[in-house]
Amino acid sequence: MGKLLTTVLGVVGAIGVSAVLFIGANKIFDLAPRHWRWFSALIGFLVSGTVFLVLWANDLLLSPLAVTITAVVIGTVGGFVLGNVSNRWWRLGVGVAMGVALGGIAGFYSQNIFGVLPDGTQVIWPARPDLQLGPLAGWTVGGAVLGAAIWQVRSRVKPLYRSVLLWGTLGWAVGAYAISNLSGGTRNEAVLAGVVLGLGFGALVGTRPLADDRERGRVQTESRKYIFLGPAFLFIAVTLIVPTIRTLILSVRDRRGENFLGIENYQKVFSNPNTFDTSGWRLLFTSRLFWMGVIVVVVGLIIARVRGREVGTSMVGSPPSYGAWFVGGLLVSAAVLSVLRGTLFNNLWWVITVTLVSSALGLGIAVLADRAKHEAAAKSIIFLPMAISFVGAGIIWRFMYQARQPTADVPHGGQTGLLNALWVGLGELTQSSTWPKAIAVTLVAVLAVGMALLAVMAFRDGVRGVGWGVVVALIPVLWFLYSLIVGVGGWADGRGQIILFIQNSPFNNLWLMVVLIWTQVGFAMIIFSAAIKAVPAVLIEAAKVDGATESQLFWKVTMPQIMPTIGVVITTLIVLVMKVFDIVKVMTNGNFDTQVIANEMWQRAFTELNFGLGSALAVVLFAAVLPVLVVNVRRMQRAV
Amino acid sequence: MTSRAALVVAVALVAAACSSDASTETPETVVVTSIVTETVTETVTETVEVEVPATNPFEGTSVTVFGPESGGAEEQAMIAALDLFAAKSGIDVTYLGARDFSDQINAQAAGGNPPDIAVFPQPGKVADFAREGFILPLPAGTEAVMNDNFSDAWTAFGNVDGVQFAIPTKADLKSLVWYQPARFEAGGYTVPETWGELLTLSDQMIADGNTPWCVGIESGPATGWTFTDWVEDLTLRIEGPEYYDQWVDHSIPFNNPEMAAIWQTVLDLWNTPGAVFASSGSIAATPFGANGQPLVDGKCYMHRQASFYSAFLPEGTPAADGTEGAVDVFYFPSVGEDKPVLGAGTLVSAFRDAPEVWAVMEYFASGEYADARQRFQALGKGSAVTEGVLSGFLSPNLNADLSLYTPLEQSFLDILATADVVRFDGSDLMPSDVGAGTFWTEGTSAVNGEKTVQEALDAIEASWP
Repeated sequence: MGKLLTTVLGVVGAIGVSAVLFIGANKIFDLAPRHWRWFSALIGFLVSGTVFLVLWANDLLLSPLAVTITAVVIGTVGGFVLGNVSNRWWRLGVGVAMGVALGGIAGFYSQNIFGVLPDGTQVIWPARPDLQLGPLAGWTVGGAVLGAAIWQVRSRVKPLYRSVLLWGTLGWAVGAYAISNLSGGTRNEAVLAGVVLGLGFGALVGTRPLADDRERGRVQTESRKYIFLGPAFLFIAVTLIVPTIRTLILSVRDRRGENFLGIENYQKVFSNPNTFDTSGWRLLFTSRLFWMGVIVVVVGLIIARVRGREVGTSMVGSPPSYGAWFVGGLLVSAAVLSVLRGTLFNNLWWVITVTLVSSALGLGIAVLADRAKHEAAAKSIIFLPMAISFVGAGIIWRFMYQARQPTADVPHGGQTGLLNALWVGLGELTQSSTWPKAIAVTLVAVLAVGMALLAVMAFRDGVRGVGWGVVVALIPVLWFLYSLIVGVGGWADGRGQIILFIQNSPFNNLWLMVVLIWTQVGFAMIIFSAAIKAVPAVLIEAAKVDGATESQLFWKVTMPQIMPTIGVVITTLIVLVMKVFDIVKVMTNGNFDTQVIANEMWQRAFTELNFGLGSALAVVLFAAVLPVLVVNVRRMQRAV
Repeated sequence: MTSRAALVVAVALVAAACSSDASTETPETVVVTSIVTETVTETVTETVEVEVPATNPFEGTSVTVFGPESGGAEEQAMIAALDLFAAKSGIDVTYLGARDFSDQINAQAAGGNPPDIAVFPQPGKVADFAREGFILPLPAGTEAVMNDNFSDAWTAFGNVDGVQFAIPTKADLKSLVWYQPARFEAGGYTVPETWGELLTLSDQMIADGNTPWCVGIESGPATGWTFTDWVEDLTLRIEGPEYYDQWVDHSIPFNNPEMAAIWQTVLDLWNTPGAVFASSGSIAATPFGANGQPLVDGKCYMHRQASFYSAFLPEGTPAADGTEGAVDVFYFPSVGEDKPVLGAGTLVSAFRDAPEVWAVMEYFASGEYADARQRFQALGKGSAVTEGVLSGFLSPNLNADLSLYTPLEQSFLDILATADVVRFDGSDLMPSDVGAGTFWTEGTSAVNGEKTVQEALDAIEASWP
């Protein structure tokens, strides 16, 4: 109860504070047009207050309360004066004096703190830089030169000296604080570092002319977008940007994130045969799958050539060619990625297969269901698996694939998994029974004859597309009929023969992908269905009036219209599939050659507590997802 | 056997209310824990009475314990034993068990949200955590309590670089083969005394149309550990303890030829056609716990697994009492003259420095805990209904009450205490990158045939931190 109350109070308090900050920021900038001097004083107060509170909070100040109060007074007064005076030399003087005073105070009252960690080691929290003249001068001059270069690139709009001053001061800050030994310096060095820093920023502030009415109005209006974006940006910074940067830093460090290693973790990712193994590439040329894929692609090319000759060009794509290329491409990719092993290739295989198959099936179902009877019910059933979590889907399919050691004299050899029960049952049916087998053969034969009749009728009526479709569909049916007659399925020597769907590498990966396809087809279908419904009816009507067939309607009218949607679905799916984790975690935990990057990252980082290697894997995944995300965002922006 | 046992633990919170009354000087006796074993035919209730002190320094404190014992009699007995202490001490002790303990404890410790006490199944993990600064060294008082209860051989597993971080709480004897004497008798088989006899027996069973071995190495995120146990046991037998120690502390590379030969020996035995019954179709797919039923059913004749395996046998299975369905064990035969023994166990370590945490730690170190856990676990396995039921729990505690154990379990303890060569489970001693990482995963790859033995060994060697 106490915890609940604190949580509720915390949330309410945080919302309250955020609201006050938000309204306060708006009110402050409302001051700008009419009460410029007070606005300026307030900005001075806030900037100096923030800087010194940060120093204080990090225990970098001696007698922090007095120092912070002094600094805030200096900042406020300086801001107020700068909000009144218009003489440029006076302004410069006040700005420099304020900056030097603040920098000097910070330097003079800085302290090096000694602390003891729980395990007894002494550490120094640094505050006084050990200034090295050479690097310091180098960084400062380098910064100034960079400033000049930026001024050139920015087409010389603002005065040169401001750019040089800003970048020179930043260079000094880097030289003084970032690259030096922060705990080795004396008080004088700390004062010097602070004074020069203050001098630079003070001069920058002082050289700005006193704002005129137009400038004041501009400040008020321009501030709004930052105030409104602020909360969102802060949220993204905390949840996304900071973790990303931290992951990048960790990825070049050792397992506990303590020492710098360089690219060693990345080398490990690409040299470990478990993550990146190309040694089996020669097997590709003996792979039946590969040659099957090549043949199917070539068939597609031949069809395209034939069609091209009909219209007098070299090649013309048509639905049969597209289909052949799609299937052939999938076969070839499966062949290639079953010989190139390792986590990275596995992930690639997932991306290609799941993305293409899910989108194709989703599109096909959306088209077929469109304007059909019971469309809503059919689509609901396909969409239903979307509602199941990946973990749930993984567990469900593990039961589907489950195998049991086959036992004699039990139906289906005692299989409890659906697929193995079917497989063993099929074997039992075709190899050890007579009457049931005869009935099954008859049923399939009737089906085949019916399909053949349908094809004949289609050709007679001139619906070539349907005719060829049925012919293609007839091939597996005939093959199945032949198999039934000669015997197929998991049965040999009077015992069931099981298939180890999850354990037999490398094609167990495909069985795992089926799970994700099962859940994602619904997603693709719903989006495509909406896009198809959004195709203007006038276009369809016009095409029909011109005598277009259903096939032409789809390929020439609907497809071009839904192209942007196809892009969105594919990019969304790619990003989703790249991050696949739960299914593999639940079904194999990366064993049996089914590892994917996300699970590998989790295992390195959290099972082995190797945060360096885990972060490197995360960065690899991030780098792979990034281009797709960029394309996706660009596309969405164009759509808007 | 159709008896089904359910273990019910009920704690009467009245105990705390009574004891908080400071004016009552006389300690009261209250019933705090009752255990009910239900069977088809009868219900047995066991009640435990404890004295509750009138004043309690730990009133209102709480301690969380996290461990790998999850589900079934093991977890319930752990909870019951802790409840007993909770009622006595007034500390609110909560036990949480998770099958993927080793992953979760990492995330909890690295995330700064650890339990107060964790039950580690691996000394290697204790050493890792001690060096990371996650767990606390034992204070002198607690260490003294521990030293009163355990021999140096056992406390050494919780000692990291000369500092004591953990207390042993459970012992397992791993070099055992489970079998059913009745079936051996029916088949005319005799218990093998040497490695050669074992191989001959295995071949003989295959020739007779029987399946000699039950093997399954699936165990969630820890898949593969059963294979590492076989490798360790054979390493002790074939290469001897000296080689074993060098192998464990990595003073010889993991992928040396001797190790490859040992892996090959295990795989050759398993891959002999007809040698292994794996209920899920393949060794890598079969959960290690799923072999109890087939062993009892006679689908396979031998199962090399640790003493705790009795917790995975069908409930109420009698042990070594001469009845028809009883199971027994024989020593996993040795190659040479000496009879080395592979052991394992769990250790507890603390993450939080507080008097109540150390009080619970001292309870874990006491003979009282060992006895309570044994009693409750045996009840949970149905000992109230069937005589001679194995609990699956063994304690290395010197002050444990041996009369609570069956004669068979007493012999386990005796072997652990007296064997010439005892070695702790090697994968548990190795750094967890290997011992709870690649040794499991690469072993699984080799068993499942994705990798050759040499490829797997090279990968393990490359992963040694």
